[in-house]
Amino acid sequence: MALDDATEVEDTLRAVLADVLGLDPARVATFTEATPLFGALPEFDSLAVAGLLTELEERLGILIEDHEVDADMMESFGALLTFARAKALR
Amino acid sequence: MSGGALSYERFYNGRTNEWLLRLGDPRTPPILFVPPLFEELNRTRALIVAVMRRVAAEGNGCWLPDLRGTGESLLAVEEVTWDDWRHDVSAAAGHIAKESGKRPVMASLRGGALIDDGVEAIGWWRFAPATGAALARDLDRASLTGGAEWAGYPASPGLRDALRASIAADVTPLRTVRLETDAGAADHKVAGPALWRRSEPGTSAELAEALADDLIKWSRTCAAS
Repeated sequence: MALDDATEVEDTLRAVLADVLGLDPARVATFTEATPLFGALPEFDSLAVAGLLTELEERLGILIEDHEVDADMMESFGALLTFARAKALR
Repeated sequence: MSGGALSYERFYNGRTNEWLLRLGDPRTPPILFVPPLFEELNRTRALIVAVMRRVAAEGNGCWLPDLRGTGESLLAVEEVTWDDWRHDVSAAAGHIAKESGKRPVMASLRGGALIDDGVEAIGWWRFAPATGAALARDLDRASLTGGAEWAGYPASPGLRDALRASIAADVTPLRTVRLETDAGAADHKVAGPALWRRSEPGTSAELAEALADDLIKWSRTCAAS
């Protein structure tokens, strides 16, 4: 059930961040592409990474390989959004 | 003995005595909760106890066992095998049958569904069951970005392999419940957060209520048939 709309991917990513990290959706709505994530948000630790990736896979209908996972792709909201769109919209 | 009280009981699994948390009257129809595995249990324990409280208030005895190597168990998780956990669940069911005089309904969450089938039960209810492969992948992934190996649960190679190969057994009668954000097949979908994926333990009153309502109905259906 891959999505076909870039906005839908962005909405899904924001919802997953709020759900997995336990953040207020109003706060996640203010994230811009430059907002730093992994290493910057105390909620976003190594343990949360597994939950985030699995939840993205389920909601976007994608499969993320281990070799695609590193700190860079989660460094900022923009980096994670670019990754999610490349996966979901191909 | 007050009916609605919380108490801790001991059950013997053939090797060690482990703890069972009980909520509700032990003479009312029993429900054995089988917890999620590894770190997912910590993240969902408050939810499980909230569900147990609601279900107990509606007239069920609710039990939640410590599996060997988890909770208050004196064993280290390194020493535990997959068969030990399966055996713990059947030993807990045996304890409950003795206390209540009845066979339980099994209520399994996540990886608990992988070890809930070796029991004489009147029915099974599973919330967000996962394959062992998916659970193992999450634990592998937690170490990809510099976290502790297997999220700090140094399971033996044998336990890891058994988990990876494990899928939930076919049991009957079975009711499967999932979150509405989960595309997997289910008899019923409920709204709420995937608390087992949260970085910090949490709970959700709405989710606890939705799960308890469904479990109460299902346990009555099982008891009536």
